[in-house]
Amino acid sequence: MMILPRAIRKFKDKRAVKDPRWASLFDKYEGDEVVSLDCETTSLDVGEASILSIGAVKIKGKRVKTSERLDIKLKPPADLTAESIKIHKIRAADLADGVSIEEALEQVLEFVGNRPILGYYVNYDIRMLDKFLRPTYGFGLPNKAIELSHVYHDIIKWRHVGGDVDLRFDTIADKLNMPMIQRHTALGDAISVALMYVRLKHGDTPL
Amino acid sequence: MPDSFKMGNLPFSLLTESEQKLLRSNLDIGYYQSGEVIIKAGEQSEGVYVVYRGRVAESEPQDEGDEMLHVFMHYENEDYFGGWSAMHGSAIHNFTAEEETICHIFSTDILLELMDSNPGFADYFQQNLAAKSEIVAQQGEGQDMAEFMLATIEEAVVRDPLIVNEGTSIKESTQLMRETKSDSVLVRRGGRIGMVTGTDILNAIVLNDGSVDADVATIATYRLITCKPDDFLFNALVIMTQQQIERVVVMEGDTLVGVVQLTDVLSYFSSHSHVIGLRLERASTIEDLREAAAGLNNLIKALISTGVRIRFTMDLLAAMNKRIIAKLFDLVVPADMQPHVCLIVMGSEGRGEQIMKTDQDNALIFRNGLNWAEKHQTMQRFSETLISFGFPPCPGNIMVSNPEWVNSVDDWTQNLQDWSMSNDPEDQMRLAIAVDAKPVAGNVALFKVARNWFLRTMRNNDLFFSHFAKAAVEFDTPLTFFGNLKERGELDIKKGGIFPIVHGVRTFALEQRILATNTFERLEALVDAGVMQESNAKDISEALGLFVNIRLRQQIRRAEQTEDGIDPTPNIIELQQLNKMDRELLRDALLVVKSFKKSLTSRFNLPS
Repeated sequence: MMILPRAIRKFKDKRAVKDPRWASLFDKYEGDEVVSLDCETTSLDVGEASILSIGAVKIKGKRVKTSERLDIKLKPPADLTAESIKIHKIRAADLADGVSIEEALEQVLEFVGNRPILGYYVNYDIRMLDKFLRPTYGFGLPNKAIELSHVYHDIIKWRHVGGDVDLRFDTIADKLNMPMIQRHTALGDAISVALMYVRLKHGDTPL
Repeated sequence: MPDSFKMGNLPFSLLTESEQKLLRSNLDIGYYQSGEVIIKAGEQSEGVYVVYRGRVAESEPQDEGDEMLHVFMHYENEDYFGGWSAMHGSAIHNFTAEEETICHIFSTDILLELMDSNPGFADYFQQNLAAKSEIVAQQGEGQDMAEFMLATIEEAVVRDPLIVNEGTSIKESTQLMRETKSDSVLVRRGGRIGMVTGTDILNAIVLNDGSVDADVATIATYRLITCKPDDFLFNALVIMTQQQIERVVVMEGDTLVGVVQLTDVLSYFSSHSHVIGLRLERASTIEDLREAAAGLNNLIKALISTGVRIRFTMDLLAAMNKRIIAKLFDLVVPADMQPHVCLIVMGSEGRGEQIMKTDQDNALIFRNGLNWAEKHQTMQRFSETLISFGFPPCPGNIMVSNPEWVNSVDDWTQNLQDWSMSNDPEDQMRLAIAVDAKPVAGNVALFKVARNWFLRTMRNNDLFFSHFAKAAVEFDTPLTFFGNLKERGELDIKKGGIFPIVHGVRTFALEQRILATNTFERLEALVDAGVMQESNAKDISEALGLFVNIRLRQQIRRAEQTEDGIDPTPNIIELQQLNKMDRELLRDALLVVKSFKKSLTSRFNLPS
């Protein structure tokens, strides 16, 4: 696959949308909501990874709308390895009543709409979803991406002149003194990231 | 669906599984900076907020120029707020984050839906103190049961075994059983031990036409069900239920320790008080009585720790104390003098509301013109003996060893009248103590004559009642003290809660010439007389019960920490010792006191 900047790809993709249902995804977003999204996958290599579960919550202002959320478990993929089971604590049995990837993608598009997507290393999650979106839909997620570690870095960097900022997930959560909810479930991580984002956007600068 | 939300806390633990699911799926999470107003007075609350992290203060909206921020209550650590505001349309107070705060939030719609489907949950949210206490008590029942069940067999109810050897006749065995008040006998046959119960003997003789001279070993059962002394009592009960038997043999290794009976297990709970009562009844010397009285403190602790309702505890204790005092009176006062005098107890003792042994407040009324030379000597001895039983002397010296409190009927009525017309706070206090008097021994008619006369003269004396009621509203009822949670907050619960209720109710009762002295009974009588609404009386009762209960638990804890076993600050409630539930109930109860004081103020035209 050709490596193209996202903006150009998006321009190309927009023309490729065949189903009018999805045309609005490419409209500029005017609202004040953000969607925090996280995927649990079998590997960190986009090329070979499968998606196990997808979690997402909407954020409106200072409110994490856990009442409006997405909590999808997929059918167990062929490559569910012992290694990923250890990390996510998801076994094939847990996914027995999961949905197909097609159904999952439709739910994601429906839920996210044209809202910005927030995540920790969000590009990874977007690329994972794109990998499965493109063959069926002909386009990747056009949404604006918000990277939690960038938001954090932009706010905290002046305190670390000349030094590297530790951008590990647990470090950020710790520095922000935010609770971690259901770590290593897709929905739990999406909620934790959403809380950190709200905290960064609306709270005092962390020490 | 955040499982950061704790469903185990009241009132959410009252919800059914499907209701909890509904709630869970409708939770949002809100983030608030320090100083941010979460709900503003006058505005609508979005729903119920449950604090996950941080601290929220509820305060009165400030007018311009107000210097002090009047904080009613702090919410933290799974406390919830906003429900009242949500149901009543708009908030009357400000809810402000005092530090960075995260709350779980669910909407008013969901609250109403849950209240609709679950009456217990609804009661809880209606802020009805009586209902709330009831719910808390019910939820606590399981725990009490657990404590009871955790007792081990050896602590509780092992009976010494009655053992006979092979060759003993059924008749002899039956006689032995009768003598030792056993209803079973163990039979040693070679190396084995068998059991014969009363039923076995009946069956052998009556149904099977056996001879009373037959060897008892022939009708014994040798497959004995056993347990160990350190087994839980609970296990013994389970075994008995499973095997459908009523006795289990207790064995320590190969040694026979005793027998546990089903009836003993079942009555274990109540047997403590029963035993002490029996001992009091049988005491024939002062020494016997002293020993029986010493068991009382442990009884109180046992009752409190097993969660027996405070009012029952008070009733039981009042009855016990009354028996001790009456018994001592019998032992100390010569029989020929007893018809001419009446011993009364006053104050909390008279109301039957003391829990720990409280100060002696007692007096003696004697027949006009009685000639009894050793009167004061005898009363001196009476007071001293009570002190030696662990009833502390009255600091105000209101006891029979003080001749001022030993009076003829005429002098006693004169005293009551003098006190009622005096402006001296000491006299007011004496009167308050005296109108709670209850006769415990001697000739009750002497007491009744004086009391009835007094009640008649007080009739319609508005000036007196207005004067008398004043003390009830004298002390502030401090709701702000919850704000001091982190600064070792303390509250004098007697001044802030107990006294206003007791004295206010006493005033109402006197005015209605109600003869009961117990505050709870007075409240019931006031409802019957149509002077007070039942719901108000219930709330006041609950509030008083709660104060006494919380105070008692703290007293016991403090008393255990001191060397002499006496709590130096018996009326202090230390806030940090209270759990969330207690704090919430305490706050509601203090609100009840506040509104009761308001009704006193308007009823008796007190300066407000």
